[in-house]
Order: sequence, then structure tokens, then C-alpha cells
Amino acid sequence: MPALNPQKHAGMLQSGARIILLPSWVIAIAIMLKGYADVGDGFSAGVIAALGVLLQGLAFGTDELEQITLSRIAPILSFVGLGLALLTAFVPILFGENLFTHWPGINEHAVHFGVLEFITPVVFDIGVFLIVYGFCVGGLHAIAREEVRQVRLRDRGRYLRSTTRGGSLADESGEVRL
Amino acid sequence: MMNPAMLLLVAAFAAPLVVSLLGAIRHSWVPRGAILMTGLAFAAAVWTCIQDDASVNVPWAPTWSMNFSLTLDGLAKMYALLATGIGFFVVLYASKYLALHLHHDHRLLEEQTRFFGFLLLFMASMVGLVMAQDLILIFVFWDLTAIASYFLIGFDRAEEESRSSAQMALLVTGITAIFVLLGALALFQIYGTFALPEIIIASNGGRNTGIAVGLIVLGALAKSAQVPMHFWLPRAMAAPTPVSAYLHSAAMVAAGVFLIGRVYPLVAQYDWMLDALLVIGFASMAVGGIIALTRRVLKQILAYSTISQYGYVVAMFGLGGEKGVAGATFYVLAHALVKSALFMTAGAVTEATGKKNLPDVGGLMRRMPLLAAGSGMAAAGLIALPLTIGFFKDELFFAAAYERGMTLAVMSVVGASLTLAYILRFWRQTFMGVLRTEPEPISGYLVWPVVVLGIASVVGGLWTVPAIWIVDRAASVSADAPIHLHIAYHLDARHENVMAIATWVAGLLIYLTRRIWWPAALGVAHLGSYFGPARLYYAGMRGLNQLSDSVHRIEVRDLRSRVATILMPAGLLVGLAVIVTPNSTSSFAVGALGRDDIPLITMLVASVVSAFVVIVVRDHFRLAISLSSVGFSLAGVYAFMGAPDVTLVALVVETVLSMFMIGMLVLMPRPILRFETEVRAERRYLRRDAIVAVVAAGMAFFVAWGALSRPSPSTEVIDSQTVLTAAVHGKDIVTVILADFRGFDTLGEVTVIALTLLGVISLLRTGRLR
Repeated sequence: MPALNPQKHAGMLQSGARIILLPSWVIAIAIMLKGYADVGDGFSAGVIAALGVLLQGLAFGTDELEQITLSRIAPILSFVGLGLALLTAFVPILFGENLFTHWPGINEHAVHFGVLEFITPVVFDIGVFLIVYGFCVGGLHAIAREEVRQVRLRDRGRYLRSTTRGGSLADESGEVRL
Repeated sequence: MMNPAMLLLVAAFAAPLVVSLLGAIRHSWVPRGAILMTGLAFAAAVWTCIQDDASVNVPWAPTWSMNFSLTLDGLAKMYALLATGIGFFVVLYASKYLALHLHHDHRLLEEQTRFFGFLLLFMASMVGLVMAQDLILIFVFWDLTAIASYFLIGFDRAEEESRSSAQMALLVTGITAIFVLLGALALFQIYGTFALPEIIIASNGGRNTGIAVGLIVLGALAKSAQVPMHFWLPRAMAAPTPVSAYLHSAAMVAAGVFLIGRVYPLVAQYDWMLDALLVIGFASMAVGGIIALTRRVLKQILAYSTISQYGYVVAMFGLGGEKGVAGATFYVLAHALVKSALFMTAGAVTEATGKKNLPDVGGLMRRMPLLAAGSGMAAAGLIALPLTIGFFKDELFFAAAYERGMTLAVMSVVGASLTLAYILRFWRQTFMGVLRTEPEPISGYLVWPVVVLGIASVVGGLWTVPAIWIVDRAASVSADAPIHLHIAYHLDARHENVMAIATWVAGLLIYLTRRIWWPAALGVAHLGSYFGPARLYYAGMRGLNQLSDSVHRIEVRDLRSRVATILMPAGLLVGLAVIVTPNSTSSFAVGALGRDDIPLITMLVASVVSAFVVIVVRDHFRLAISLSSVGFSLAGVYAFMGAPDVTLVALVVETVLSMFMIGMLVLMPRPILRFETEVRAERRYLRRDAIVAVVAAGMAFFVAWGALSRPSPSTEVIDSQTVLTAAVHGKDIVTVILADFRGFDTLGEVTVIALTLLGVISLLRTGRLR
């Protein structure tokens, strides 16, 4: 996964990744918001958005993930999402309603913007979206960062060995790449 | 005005909270804050004591008929007074003692917060316990005292002895607490309520009730350190002295006899239970008394003495009748006053001289006259000399024993004379004779609580009205009938007096002839430590450790056994469920296959093929890829079954899962992966692996079969959900079910995801995964 040697990667992957980032988010948000009316929900939307961002890491290397704000703050987003989901679940209790009472209620009129309706289940779905997105990006980013760290440690050790003892790099060079 | 019961509870539980908060701000305020808060709690106890009985009853879990019900009755008043009153003096004492203790051990003064926090929690849970009327509530407070005592006994956590003592106390009282819970549940089964007063009214004296009450009493006896569950108490001496003083007089150990007093109306219906109490009480008296005679460590003498003293109480409950109950209740009161004073004496002596053993101290009377006088009064109270409150505790004991015949009378005299002998030995060898170690001056905080409690013991002997007032009300609750205590000094040859004089003479004789019987008593003590129940405890602990170790060893030996430890129990449990589940009427049958099913079958075949590939390939990377192709083929199956929502989720999840798998593989050291690829399954494990595989596959098969065989959900449910979906502004029923109908399930699942992320990140960031 970590692109340790960006020069080796085809330019096609890089331009493809760049081109696909925005559409992947548009699709994800559409799937999430339209989840109540069509196929998909916050969960799949979260994974799709995450795949769009992770593709950047795949094409440009782990450092690119550090650059993208949306990937840097992914773990935080995850817990913001958990907060949102918990709020939609428990706020109704404050109003004397049951857990997970959604507004507007059954057969009540919902404010809508075009075909988009403003209803609380969507807020819950946004929470799910953020949790899943944060998990995928945050988890893989953490793993990738650890891989890079290990590789750098190994490289540094090899560099030190080669400068102090004049050893060779060749024997272990295969270990780094996937 | 606030309800007195609620007021007392709030005052008691405010103490640990306030002290912990103070500790967070500035730890030097903690001792003074603790004194203030326990003082307030004591004041609240005194004030509520002179009020009428009061109750609080808040439905807690009404569907299970559990109520948060507290009643401040006579029994609760007495124990609450003891818990807060003795607690107050103990905290006064600890406010200086603990700083010295921490200083000796080169520890930070900040640890005071933890100590006083738990000490006050101990007090608060005692106050809660004595007022609780709901059996479950009693159990909760009961365990709270055990938890608080665990942290207090193990306060010197750097020392192995202190940790293992704390563990022993927690295990012995915690495991037996389960009996209390079992008894409570059994009573609930019989009477349909957890409310103790209702159970007492409704009780029928049946055999099942007897067993349930017996279980509760068993828990109580362990808490009161009665034979054969006494061995934890002497070990609990590892605690700092104020804890011991409190634990032995007004808290932990007292909680046991309190519970017996609380359920005594039920206990008294069963003669066999009373007889058992009698036997256990006298056995504890003898064991505690004999071993106390042989101990050399100051605090250990007192610890064994406690076992023996509570033996008196239990025996008196066993004797029963008006005299027995009144005597037991009175005994607890008198004992609490003097025993806490004696413990604090031992602590003060050790602080002043630096010696813990009796032979190393002596002749302290001249150097520490105030302490000698205070503890002398307390000791006189414990050995029941006239003009102290203790005199009456033995008078009541003798009277109750005499009623039941000569044998018990003689036994009680012997027991009491043992007490006299070891307390005489304790006090005389500490304060009289040759000066062995020159004491250093100590703070008045370590002396005055002893003096005040000693004076209280004498005042109680001269002016008996308050004690009678308290005990009358407390004993009336235990006996479930009005009790009026008659205690006074009589200068005649009534049998109580004769027995008292016999006790003093016999006790003095035992003390004077100690060189003769010393080896015999020591032999008994050794015998106890070799063949006693403590041995059973250690053997049990060792066995548990070995069991856990061997299971662990099997589990971590290799990946196969780790997988087997998960799959085998799961498979066996599912198999058991299949066997015990009654046969469903409509078991699943494979229907006819048509031409339309060809795409579906193609995808199924693809997933089966990739599943077989998983078995064949050895390289980890290919393994990951073939695993995900199983997933992708299944996504195709969903697609052909007309489930677009599930298909979408399966596709995206499978993609990201493959990335995770490969990412993790990259993290693993390459040589290990290479080695694992080379390694072949050992021949001798082949059969085992086959069994595991068959069991696990059988489990999966039965689960799938069972799910398919279930009667399909009635169309009504589906219809109503479809209608509702439109009503709640939805058009996609899957999303509506996830976010609305079964929203709580989804919430649980996504919470797990978020917590897993937290785990992954914290593991990787702290660099533990390397």
C-alpha cells in the first residue's frame, strides 16, 4: 500500500486518482443523503468516500495522506460521527420520548429542499458515514504510517552500517517492497 | 426538612466525594477535610438517631420489584452511629498516622487522597448497608464494603504481602458474597419480592426459605471472619493501623454480624441454624482465643481476638431468645468502642518505638502514661471488668449461656477467660515490666482518640442509659419483638456474677501459668496453619492459576490451536443448542432449480472455488486475495438475488477489508511470513485438525440450516414495515430499518467500529506493534 518510491508509479494511476477524488465524494454524499430513498446508506457512503481518499495514498504515497486535511482529521471525524449518532439516539429522551424517536414523526410533514427531505434519520446516517469513513481512512493511515516508519528505521540502520563498516545494500533491498 | 434516612446517606456519601475533590485541588487539605466530613456524618448520625424511624423508597427496577429502599430503624441507627462515630476517631488518628506511615515508606504525601477516599467510602457503604431494606441493595452495599476494604488492605501496594492479603480478603468475602446474592434470589423466587420486611412478615418457616437464609448467613459469617473462614482477617493486618482499627470494630467484620441481626427474624425460625451458629461461634471463640495467646505481633493478637470476640456475638445469636439477641447487639456496641481503641494503641506504640512485636516493647507506662491509661480503660472494657461497658457484655453473655445449661455456661467461662488472658498479656507486657525500647514522642492525634474511646468505655459502664436506649431499639429489630434490656450492678451471688468471678480467676491463672501451656497452644496454632482452611485456599488459588496457565499454553502454542480454541467451544455450544431445540415443524428443503437461477449458481460456484483456493495457496498475499475473492463472489450472489443494498455494502467492505489485510501483512516481519509459508502442518495434528474442521463446519452448517428452517417472518410484519417506511419519509426499506426501526442495533455496531479505531490507533502510535 505505501508508495515508497513515487517515481516508479505510473503517471496514469496518479492522474486517475486525482480525477476520481471529487466524484467519489460526490457519489458518497449523494448515496448518504439519498439513502432513505434509494440504494445505499451512510455505511457504504463512508467506505466509498474512504476509498477515494485512500486511492490518493496509493498513488502518491503515505505522505500525501498527511497532506490531505480530510485524511488527517479522519479519526476525529469518526468520533464526531459517534457523537452525532449518540445524540440522535438519546436526545429524544430529554423530550420525554423513546430512544431513537425520529422527527418529523409518522406521516407528519417534512421540510424539503427539492426532493431532499430534512429528517433526523439522515443526521444519524451522517454519523454512521463519519464513523465508517474515519475508521477506514484512520485505520489504514495508521498502518501505512507505521510501515513507513519501520522502513525508514531499516534504511537508516542500513545507511549507518554502510557508512561505518562499508557494508552493501544489495542483500536486503528486496525486503522493503511489497 | 429532609428525610433523616436520606440525609444520613447523603452526608455519608458526600464525605468520600468531597475528600477526593479536595485531593484533586490540594492534597494537604485532605486530612482536615476528612475530619470535617466524618464529623458532619457523625453529627448527622447522632441527629437522625434521636429522630423517629424514617424510610426512603424509590422504585429502582420496578419490573423486577427492586426498590431503593432505606429504613433508618433501631438497628440501622446503632450501626450507623458506630460506623460514623468510630470512623470519626479513626480519621482523627489517621490524619497524623498516615503522614508518618507514608514518610517511613518514602512515599508521596499525595497518596493520602486515595487512602481517605477509600476509608470514607468504606464508612459510607457501611451506612448504606445498615439502612438498606432491599436484599439486592444490601448486596450492592455489601460488595462496596468489600471493594473499599480491598484497596485499603492493599494500600501499601509496593509490598507483596499487602497485595496478597488484600486479594485474600476480597476473594473470601467476595466469593461468599455470592451466597448472599443466591440467598436473595432464592427468597425472591419464594416470596416474589426483595423487600426484607415483607419477606419477614410472609415467611413460612419452610425448608427452602431455610436454605436461602442459610446462604445469606454463610456470607455473613465469612465477613465476620468466623471459623473456618477466619484466616483472611489476621492477614488483613497488612493494612495501615487505622484501617485495621476500623475494619475490626465498626466496618467490615461488624457488617457480618449486622447482617445476621438484620435477617435474624428469619434465622430464629430454624433451630438447626441457631445450633450451627452456636457451634461456629464457640469454635471461633476457641480458635481465636488460643491462637491469640501465642501471637507475638501486637496487631495479630488483636486480630485473633476479633475472631474470638465475634465468636461471642455469633454464639449469642445462636443461643437466641431475648437475652441472646440483646446480648449480641450489646456486645457489638461495647466491642467496637474498645477494640478500635486497642488497635490504635498498637499503632501508636509501633509509631513511638518502631517495634511491632510484643517481646520488643515493655514498660511504656512511665513514658506514655496517657496512652497507657486510655488503652487500660479499653482493655478493662474488653475483659469485662466492672465499671466499664464491657462488664455488661459478659454479664449478658453468661446469662444467656446459663439459661441453656451447664455445659454452655462452662464453655462460655472458658472462652471469656481466654480473652482475659491474652488481653492481660497484651496490655501488661506493653506497658509494664522492663523498658525494652525507648519511645519517641508522638503526636497527640495518635493518643487522644484512644483516651476518648477508653473514657467512653468507662462512662458507658457507669451511666448505662444511652447504651440501653440504643441497644433496646436495635435488638427489637433483630428479635422482631420489643426488647427491654435490664443491666445494673448487683452485689449478690447470682450466677452471672459467680461466672464473672470464675472467669477472672481462670483468666489470671491462664496468664500466670503461660509457660506451662505455651508449647501446647503453639502446637495448636501450627496445626491450624498446616491443616487449616488457609491451606485449602492456597491450594485452590494454585490450582486455578495452573488451570489458567495450561489453557493459556494450549491456546498460544500455535495459530491452529488458537483457532481451535475459538471454533471448538463455539461449535460445541451450537451443536448443543441444535440438540436441545425442539424440532421445527418446517425444516428447510432445497427447491427446484430453474434456468433463471443459472447466474446465481455461477456466482455460488465461483465463491466455492475461491474458498477451495484459500486452502491450497500458501503465500500470504495470495491468501488475502483469494479470501477477498470469496467475498466479491458473494457480493455477486447478493446482486443476482436482487438485494442491491447488501451488494453495495459487500463490495465496498470487501475492497477496504482487502486493503486492511494486505496492510497488516506488510507490517509483519518478512522472515516470519516466509517461515510460516514454508512450515507444514505436523502429521500428528492431522486428526485433531480434522475434528476441529468438522465441528466448525458443522456449526456453520447448522446455523445456516437453522436460519433457513425458521418459519419465514409473517407477511404482516413485512407489510407493516413497508407501510411504515413510506410513513416515515423513506423509500428504501433497508436504510429505514438500519436508521430507524433497528437504529439501536446500528448504534451499537458503529460504536464498536469507533472503539476499534481507537484501539488500532493507540496500538500503532505507542509503538507496541513492532
